[in-house]
Amino acid sequence: MTEKAKKQTKQKSNPVVTAANVTALKSSFRDPAGYMYRDGGKLYRLVTSVGLPDYTAAKAAGLHDALTKDGLMVAHREVPKLSVDGAFVIAPDEVKAITYPFEWSFSMLKDAALATLAVQKAALAHNMTLKDATAYNIQFSGGRPILIDTLSFEPYTEGEPWVAYGQFCRHFLAPLALMAYTDVRLSQMLRDHLDGIPLDLTAKLLPRRARLRPALLMHLVMHARASNARARDYKKTSAGVRRTQLAAILDSLERTVKSLSPHAGRTEWMDYYTSTNYSDRAAKTKQKLIKQFAGSLKLQTVLDLGGNDGHYSRPFADRGIDVICADVDPNAVEYNYRRVRQDKSRHMLPILINLTNPGGAIGWGNEERTAPHERLQANLVMSLALIHHLSISNNVPFVMVAEYFSRFAPNLIIEFVPKEDSQVQKLLATRRDVFPDYDETHFEAAFAEHFKLVEKAVITGSKRTLYLFKRKSNAQGNRNA
Amino acid sequence: MLHFAYIDPGTGSLFLQAVIGVVLGGLFFFRRMFAKVSMKVKKVFKRNDGKSQKADKTEE
Repeated sequence: MTEKAKKQTKQKSNPVVTAANVTALKSSFRDPAGYMYRDGGKLYRLVTSVGLPDYTAAKAAGLHDALTKDGLMVAHREVPKLSVDGAFVIAPDEVKAITYPFEWSFSMLKDAALATLAVQKAALAHNMTLKDATAYNIQFSGGRPILIDTLSFEPYTEGEPWVAYGQFCRHFLAPLALMAYTDVRLSQMLRDHLDGIPLDLTAKLLPRRARLRPALLMHLVMHARASNARARDYKKTSAGVRRTQLAAILDSLERTVKSLSPHAGRTEWMDYYTSTNYSDRAAKTKQKLIKQFAGSLKLQTVLDLGGNDGHYSRPFADRGIDVICADVDPNAVEYNYRRVRQDKSRHMLPILINLTNPGGAIGWGNEERTAPHERLQANLVMSLALIHHLSISNNVPFVMVAEYFSRFAPNLIIEFVPKEDSQVQKLLATRRDVFPDYDETHFEAAFAEHFKLVEKAVITGSKRTLYLFKRKSNAQGNRNA
Repeated sequence: MLHFAYIDPGTGSLFLQAVIGVVLGGLFFFRRMFAKVSMKVKKVFKRNDGKSQKADKTEE
């Protein structure tokens, strides 16, 4: 038995971490400098011997402290007792819910871009540079974008260009320009292009007035052309990039990102709360019933599916409960995020999800970027005035809706909207009514397969019913816990 | 289009920076100069109180 092996058997309660005996998270494999892993439910980052010199340099330069102090990077503590053989372990503060760039609204992506530039500026001030500018390294925590990858830095050498400039343009500038000039829905291209939208494709999709804007012409159109230049051309022609020039490029990127804004489009949802059939009384009753139903539950996280702009889940966030508010409408998510920013709300996380085709299970081995139900675990799912959109507009049987919701949380507050409701009548006006089972009896029976009914109440002033369900213990769900 | 797989997409980004760095660096310089000059002009025409002078300085 070798010395090392002896040591390992000795320290059973304190397992030795080497590259061999921990399993990296499926999203963490590209950077040889280190990877994330879980042990006993806790999140760790292993810094390999490859990454250690840069980690030490960034730390010594005071960059880690500066960034965490400004809320630009997650804080971490070092765990020397887990560190061996030149590898080093740190425990970063865990971000509560991991979301992906294609799940962000325009302003979320924009703020993430500005945060990335702010990080790079701070890095340069400490003689370091950001080597990765992938949007996946930014997460929303406490209502603000924050860098989660502590190992994204390397020492800056005078004269070197920004190695992550191309990545920044693909991950941030390209989608923002496309959303601003062409269509806000083009953010979904990020689902297909995990390393950012190719710049030549971006240039093709942008209207002429965008392509002719000097900054976009440089950073996107000329950039696309330059990207097709061959490697050896660079080595011959490069004259280097001085520090002041680098600062000017960053300044230009920042100005450009700041200048972009989404089309000010109104959707049917934005007027929803004024034009719906809901009387004030019914809305208040609904609000009150939700509070009453949730009162019996111990809540840390609420997932509001089809939550629009957070109208009904914001009260939870205001009480300090984390809310993830998902909606299919980019404008509702954008509106919600602007509220978050305005109120400096720390507990509301708006995200864009199309429940009929949620993003995820993509990337390498279909495991690199996971499905929402694997990332967004909660204590309570809320689904208000959503069932008719799923079951009538999208023909999803009740029992499948029940099963899907049961994956997210052990409790469910769901509103049933009957056929007689004017909103459902609107949906049926343009469809053949092929939904003979769309009624309360079938709804309850289907949900009973995955949940136990705890409470139900008619929302007075409307034809709708609110239910509180508890997940059956044999139902699946909460795989992460 | 298989040949694209052999082109390092990062190289163009590095090369472009050397080019636009000169352009943007120049603009950046002039913008700063202009800001400085206009600040001085403002100072001549308008007596600043200490507070806004401080704000001007941090902007540099």
